[in-house]
Amino acid sequence: MIAQPFVYHAPTSVAEAIEILAENPGTSRVIGGGTWVVPECNRDESRPAALVDLRRAGLSGIDVVDGVVCVGATATYSAVMSSPDVARHLPLLAAMASGITGGRQIQSQGTVGGSVVAARPSSDAPAAVAALDATLVVAGPDGERRVTGTGMFADASTSCLREGEILTRLEFTVRPAARWGYYKLKRSASSWPIATAACVLGEQPRLVLGGVSATPVHVDLGSVLAGRPLTPDTIEEAVRRAADSVSTPWEDELAPATYRSAVAGPVARRALEMAAHQEES
Amino acid sequence: MSHGTAPRVSEARPLAGSSVRRHDGDAYVSGRIGYTDDLSLPGTAHVVLVRSDVPHARITVDVRDASTRPGVLTVATGRSLAGEYGPIPNAMDPVPTGGQPLEIHVLPVDKVVYVGQPVAAVVAESLAQALAAAADVKVHYEPLPHVMDPEAALAADAPLLYESWGSNVMLSGTVGSGDVEAAAARSAGVIHGTLRTGRGAPAPLEPRAYCADWDARTRRLTWYGTTQAPHPLRHTIAEFLGLRERDVRVVAPPVGGSFGFKNFGHPEEYLVCVLAVALARPVQWTEDRASTLRYGARDSRLAYTASYDDDGRVTSVACDMVANHGAASATGAFGMAFAGSLAMPSGYQVPDFRCDYRVVVTNKGPWSPLRPFGKEAGVLLMETVMDAVARRTGLDPLEVRRRNWVKADQFPYVTTTGLELDSGDYEGLLDKALTVLDYAAFREEQARARGQGRYLGLGVGFEVLPEGADIPGALIGASDISTVRMSPSGDVTVLTGVTSPGNGNDTAIMQIVADRLGVAMDSVSIVQGDTDICPFGFGNVSSRGILTGGGSAALAADDVAAKLRQVAASMLHVDDAERLVLRDGFVSVDGDLEQALPIAVVAHALYTVGYIVAPDVEPTLESTRTFRMRNIRHHADDDGKIMPFSTFSNGIYLSVVEVDIDTGVVDILRHVMVHDCGVMINPRFVTGQFTGGVVNGIGAALTEEVLHDPDGRQLSTGFKTFLLPRASDVPAFEIQHQVTPSPFTPLGTKGAGEGGVACTMASLLNAVNDALSPLGASITELPAVPHRVLAAIGGGQR
Amino acid sequence: MSTTEHDHSTTTRLSLNLDGTDRTADVDPRSLLVEALRDDFGVTAPKIGCATGDCGACTSRVDGQITKTCLRLAVSAEGSQIVTTQGLAEDGELDVVQQAFWDEQAFQCGFCLSGMIFAASELLAENPDPSEQDIRWAISGNLCRCTGYEAIVAAVRTAAARQREIPQRG
Ligand SMILES: Cc1cc2nc3c(=O)[nH]c(=O)nc-3n(C[C@@H](O)[C@@H](O)[C@H](O)COP(=O)(O)OP(=O)(O)OC[C@H]3O[C@@H](n4cnc5c(N)ncnc54)[C@H](O)[C@@H]3O)c2cc1C
Ligand code: FES
Ligand code: FES
Repeated sequence: MIAQPFVYHAPTSVAEAIEILAENPGTSRVIGGGTWVVPECNRDESRPAALVDLRRAGLSGIDVVDGVVCVGATATYSAVMSSPDVARHLPLLAAMASGITGGRQIQSQGTVGGSVVAARPSSDAPAAVAALDATLVVAGPDGERRVTGTGMFADASTSCLREGEILTRLEFTVRPAARWGYYKLKRSASSWPIATAACVLGEQPRLVLGGVSATPVHVDLGSVLAGRPLTPDTIEEAVRRAADSVSTPWEDELAPATYRSAVAGPVARRALEMAAHQEES
Repeated sequence: MSHGTAPRVSEARPLAGSSVRRHDGDAYVSGRIGYTDDLSLPGTAHVVLVRSDVPHARITVDVRDASTRPGVLTVATGRSLAGEYGPIPNAMDPVPTGGQPLEIHVLPVDKVVYVGQPVAAVVAESLAQALAAAADVKVHYEPLPHVMDPEAALAADAPLLYESWGSNVMLSGTVGSGDVEAAAARSAGVIHGTLRTGRGAPAPLEPRAYCADWDARTRRLTWYGTTQAPHPLRHTIAEFLGLRERDVRVVAPPVGGSFGFKNFGHPEEYLVCVLAVALARPVQWTEDRASTLRYGARDSRLAYTASYDDDGRVTSVACDMVANHGAASATGAFGMAFAGSLAMPSGYQVPDFRCDYRVVVTNKGPWSPLRPFGKEAGVLLMETVMDAVARRTGLDPLEVRRRNWVKADQFPYVTTTGLELDSGDYEGLLDKALTVLDYAAFREEQARARGQGRYLGLGVGFEVLPEGADIPGALIGASDISTVRMSPSGDVTVLTGVTSPGNGNDTAIMQIVADRLGVAMDSVSIVQGDTDICPFGFGNVSSRGILTGGGSAALAADDVAAKLRQVAASMLHVDDAERLVLRDGFVSVDGDLEQALPIAVVAHALYTVGYIVAPDVEPTLESTRTFRMRNIRHHADDDGKIMPFSTFSNGIYLSVVEVDIDTGVVDILRHVMVHDCGVMINPRFVTGQFTGGVVNGIGAALTEEVLHDPDGRQLSTGFKTFLLPRASDVPAFEIQHQVTPSPFTPLGTKGAGEGGVACTMASLLNAVNDALSPLGASITELPAVPHRVLAAIGGGQR
Repeated sequence: MSTTEHDHSTTTRLSLNLDGTDRTADVDPRSLLVEALRDDFGVTAPKIGCATGDCGACTSRVDGQITKTCLRLAVSAEGSQIVTTQGLAEDGELDVVQQAFWDEQAFQCGFCLSGMIFAASELLAENPDPSEQDIRWAISGNLCRCTGYEAIVAAVRTAAARQREIPQRG
């Protein structure tokens, strides 16, 4: 039972949602799938006066439009896993989704968009969408804006969204098929991700670490992997750079900072080796 | 009537030893079982507890605002109740064994001693109203210094939780005999070490829930709730409220797991009574998960010195145990330190042994009883010592164990702590385990893997579990009472004082009774957990459901069977009633179904035409009997030792793990379990106890740990921070049983409810250390979480 | 049911199709769906083991999706079709998964059954012949503190085998 009373809204359009948020400045929360925000309210850690549920706002679709894969903000992990478009163009996203814990119940209720907005360090989606060079499409009282790269995440549990805004979709430009890898380290099936690594090795190779820092860490690969084959040497160099890139490691009750810096390299290596295996096959 | 093929009854008792299904399983799988929180009495008021934000402080609580909120019926505090009610009764009292007096109130009167401790109870018409009003209870804290670490709590200048004690030691003592120092001095080698166990938690899936209903007209209290021990609880509730015991009825609906947590002695058990009496209506409280996790266990440090001879025999063990109890509680949880010390020599012949234990209070939540009730400490210690001796002497760890075990022909065997081990064949267990796991082949595989940079390890865990306890002075006994009755239609009802935490002991008791009366399972029903209906019993603690509940039901069923034979003898005109066989629904002469009567017909005849068919037989088909374990001894021997346990089930496990040395993650590849708990009434139920215990042990060894921050706040408050193993974390188990009957129980059974936890903890600890041995690394603290393993290796380098 | 003001004392009307029957109840708008099902509709098969989405004990099928009903606001379920383990049995006949759970002794205290049974059903609907690993992953969203999972895995295997046989008999 949620201790504090609230008004529940289920707007049927983005415009209506924005309007409701505007009417409740600073006192509303958006519900995507609700897997995070509902228990948070139930634990009395958040006391919104208005809850704005996007379930009817028409944001759950996944489409390809003009060479861009659009993943609606309320598309669930299950939707991502079963989308042929995602399978073809964003296999990394599908792999990430299929490793979400909590069972089918969570996969078919939790949303990629919700995870991105929640921006929790110990989560899967932020680093994965960063590695896929996503663009966040954000709607607010002043219209729409688009955010990319390191701009997506401001701090632990703080995304780029401002008061009164909602995420409407994530966009991914369709690029030529590239090798990719995803590795998630967790303590056990009950555990949050402790460290993740996502890499996409196209023309502009990207390696992003999750869990190890307040926000996803974009590893500066220099020219180590660009246009070069993955060899033990290049992997070694990339791993070294990954390990060095964690300047202020994240710490929580599941793992201390020293551990997170220690595993950054090994986790990066596993993602890269996964990509390397794709090359072989 | 053809010769030689006369129809006969079955050869043996058909149900004994067979894995029949749960009698009420269909109700379970279709969601129709009513647990406590599923009940809703009309007019129930709801309780929300306001909890302390600080670990140690004097408090004043202002409830004026909260009391005026909509729907609020009353807001109780420790102060508001202190005039009328004293401390709650203790499930076990440390004072007779030299410990400190415990005074636990339903709500603390002037001081809180841990974060999350309830300080006020808001009662309202609805849960929502109580929750809303709880936010308006104002607690003023006058902070006191807090202490979380037991070693720090032992310091002379440590803040005191309970000032009148003069220290933070609740209880200390020594068990064992012999001269360990002299033995060590004579020995070939000495090993020193320290082991630590993290703070675990029982964490049953169902949190606690209590509902009390006071009938002001009859002045009778009915209590419903999650308890393992209805009769003991009735006694203590009556004592606490100043009622006659008969004016309290305790009903225990099915519980969603207990593991010791739902034995009695929790303040809220009595709090709902007080509130119900005050309001003269039903009052209900259900705990949330974070609060459930405030009750912990283990959290101990064992510093040991062991000595051995060149032939690998352990000559002495001395252990200094410091147990972090957290805040005091009335649940008798402190007994885990004592039980753990008594059990410590395990099934090994340790000529000189001593354990000094201290139970220390700190500003964490209280200890809760948790299976296997502290005995994992000794198992971890002895299994660590055995491996250490193997390393020092160059002997194989399996061989070291063989050399030190009590041998199969030495039973009953008295350990150096005074426990009389009933029976066993420990080498037999190991032999059986080795038929499943090819030891030599594993060692080869391990060497190959090491060549490829993979770190495999094999660990042994062996446990002997004293169970079936009878604690002098406490309502925890090794006896129980059962009634068996047969109606005129031949229906059988069993009423028993033992309860079931969900383990199926009700079905197993029905099997025992059905066999003895020769009727089918579906003619038998059982009632447990209602003090108005069932005979007195101690509920379910210390693995005793089948020992004493089954034992007493067997005796009572035998009485009824004898009566049926007597009546049938007269009806069938047989002189010797002993010739009559009760089986397959008939009373037959020597098993011949052509000279037989349906049992229901015999029962009906006794009730309706008794003056004709059996005029000399007292017409009752009912018996109430007690079964009491006879190998308990409470008179201290010359060394001051008592024998409070009655059975000693045992087991050996072999774990194979792989340690990922880049990340410290431990993966269990194989888990071979061989168990001996004597005769199994229902092997599948027994297996379920062990597999459950194993996963508890895996959690304790690898993933589960309650952590606090330096400010005393509990960081582990849910299942994302207290990590229970899930199905995908554990391998399929390789399970074997060995049956060495107990000579002291009528059915040859032993306890089976605590098995698997301790030996899994030990086998995993040893397996991880075997895997790490080429790196010269080892861990001495559980759980072996990845960062601990990685730190032991010395970082993340390859 | 979108924008109505609620305070401490008001309730709101919630209509559901619950275990095959159209039902209406007045619920506190702050209720989690599991609380409304249990307290206001009197269907107690879904249990509350954590209220954080971790244990699965509150699982029911909501509009075709297996759902941890502690993660849904009751008010968000207006008009939904909900099936609990109480409604799985047809005409009193246990379904194949329930039957296998009973036969294989796949529970002790039974508190985890809603999550385990629905997760198993969902798996078997998609994969009639799951591997051990498939089964363990499929039920891993649910916790069981009693059984050690061994018997649950066996029950899912048994249910799968029986389910595969049914059409052949047909
Ligand atoms: C049992 C369990 C297991 C889990 N396992 C994993 C795991 O393996 N990996 C992992 O990364 N996570 C895991 N999670 C966390 C899971 O909650 C998130 O991954 C999930 O994706 C959050 O999405 P949601 O739609 O449910 O979020 P919500 O709870 O709806 O929202 C999360 C936050 O984002 C905001 N928000 C949501 N959508 C929008 C939007 N469109 N616009 C603006 N703000 C929005 C909300 O206000 C809230 O602050 C698990 C959770 C549970 C309960
Ligand atoms: S109560 Fe919903 S998942 Fe635990
Ligand atoms: S049977 Fe008790 S939690 Fe699963």
